[in-house]
Amino acid sequence: MDVSSRSVKAYARLDSRDRRLASLVVGSVVVAFVAAFVQVSQGSYPTPFGTTFDVLTDPRILFDADVWAAILTGSDFPDRLSRSAVIVWSLRMPRVFIAALVGVNLSISGAVFQAVTRNELASPYILGVSGGAGLAVLVTLVFFAGASYVLPFAAAIGGLVAFAIVYAIAWQGGTNPVRLVLAGVVVATVFQSLQTGLFYFLDSTAVVKTAIAWTTGSLTGVGWSQFRLAIVPTLLVVPILLLASRHLNVLLLGEETARSLGMPVEYVRFGLSALAILAAATAVAVAGLVGFVGLVVPHAVRTAVGSDYRRLVLGSLFLGPALVLVADVVARLALMPIQIPVGIVTGVIGGPYFLYLMRRHGDFSEF
Amino acid sequence: MSHTDTTTETTDRTETADDPRGHDSDSEQKIHATDLRVGYPGLEEPVVDTETLVVPEGEVTALVGPNGSGKSTLLKALARHLDAETGDVLIDGREIAEFGSKEFARELGMLSQHGATPDGITVEELVGHGRYPYKGFLEGQTEDDREAIERAISLSGIEHLREKDVSSLSGGQRQLVRIAMALAQETDTLLLDEPTTYLDLRHQLQVMEVIRTLNEERGVTVCIVLHDLTQAARFADYLVALRDGDIYDWGRPEDVVTEALLAEVFGVEAVVEYGAEPRIVPKRALE
Repeated sequence: MDVSSRSVKAYARLDSRDRRLASLVVGSVVVAFVAAFVQVSQGSYPTPFGTTFDVLTDPRILFDADVWAAILTGSDFPDRLSRSAVIVWSLRMPRVFIAALVGVNLSISGAVFQAVTRNELASPYILGVSGGAGLAVLVTLVFFAGASYVLPFAAAIGGLVAFAIVYAIAWQGGTNPVRLVLAGVVVATVFQSLQTGLFYFLDSTAVVKTAIAWTTGSLTGVGWSQFRLAIVPTLLVVPILLLASRHLNVLLLGEETARSLGMPVEYVRFGLSALAILAAATAVAVAGLVGFVGLVVPHAVRTAVGSDYRRLVLGSLFLGPALVLVADVVARLALMPIQIPVGIVTGVIGGPYFLYLMRRHGDFSEF
Repeated sequence: MSHTDTTTETTDRTETADDPRGHDSDSEQKIHATDLRVGYPGLEEPVVDTETLVVPEGEVTALVGPNGSGKSTLLKALARHLDAETGDVLIDGREIAEFGSKEFARELGMLSQHGATPDGITVEELVGHGRYPYKGFLEGQTEDDREAIERAISLSGIEHLREKDVSSLSGGQRQLVRIAMALAQETDTLLLDEPTTYLDLRHQLQVMEVIRTLNEERGVTVCIVLHDLTQAARFADYLVALRDGDIYDWGRPEDVVTEALLAEVFGVEAVVEYGAEPRIVPKRALE
């Protein structure tokens, strides 16, 4: 009797958090689809919504092997497609998919770093990625100006190198969250200064704009090749992090407790950080340093579903893409014909979100 | 276990001045540490430097000493939270460094002084984390896990809290929940670092009762750091008094807690009386 009534109650309670997760997921999916639809239909050659819908649902396109080949291998789109279909599928659609991937990678990366550093205000860039990637991009632009195709790799590698330096600095027979974060600040500060210094060596306004697009995060001009670049690490990292959520939960209990429970804390922390860095570097490689997404999304999901990482990671996987898609619609269409970097929009949305949290909580120490 | 066996096994201990009286313990040693030196990176002098420490099996042993005497550090070394610079720690005769991390966590539980309790999870879920060392990377909860969680919750007396959000609990309730999590580990040995500090009187007693029950009903060996000497003397089977990282004395509370100990270890002039209960009345701090 007692047991059954308890489990019924437990079921009801579980339901409430799961229900919030479900509405979050459904809401995110709806928002993402609406934003994607607007994104692919509007622009300097607007296609009517009806035409867009036809193009998107046309089975002759969806099941065309040549179209798939163009997307997955980079061959040319077949000539038989209509003009609208080409614009939608080869020019605008990749940007939608990449925005979604950027959202996925940044938000789960942020979620992991918030657990690893036990700091709810941590972002994917907390361990020096932004400094390293930004510096690498500037170095490439200044010294190898013609080699713009290496920029994604330079950004990713710069981020990974910075992470390695941060870990090396923080390591003293082991690490702890505070030392990691401080080392991240050290590396980011130095790299940031060098990067700003390098701006003075850029010759033309166009190159400066490229540099700004990378350091603030932009999806302008991305194509299916960037999608192919980003999808592989995403498919590797996301399933592992979904499965690792129980370990993230234990890590949240504090280092000593996690160790008492038999977790090899240093290995787990390094492994999870490395995966999260890979996710962040993936996003950086295709979009540059899009800010605030990795900070705001896990935070918003946490306020809705609690800090159980099984829900938190899943919720972030959906809310992240929705946020970036909406932000990118604004970035591309709001000030037509000028496109602004999407990172500016996420910043403009992200800042007020924290203002809202501040009002709601009274003070940040309660986090 | 006969008396002679115990003493031959512990020649080390009886030879040192730490234990001049030769205790009439029937128990075997659960934990045996020798020549232990433990420090922190960046500190030249070790914080703990002691020849022999024995934690008898199936008893409650309390570590006492003034601030900075190395109680917590010693406990952390036993729990593998800190690596000793030198020395051996054996649990059931086996070197602790040889255990795998989850294997060790099935053998010995440790309740640290500081632990975070994240928001938005229930008491039952938090206690469930105690089953972590029993699971592989992907395994879910088994019937065994559920039973262990159930036992831990009922032994800690927190049935009424089970569905509450952990962040809504008081400090004392939270401590009971953390203890329940350590109980769900179902280890033979449990180490606790000042589990009653900062708790109100009622929760202090509740915590102590849970630990007592655990020891008496399940035969769990307990080693506990206690701040309050009177509480330690009343509660523990054995006391280990530490001074400056070394063991000053070891034994039954009534043998260890003396006016001399209070003067030499705690720097306090005090009157110690043993009636039905030990009574320590501090008079003044010594220079």
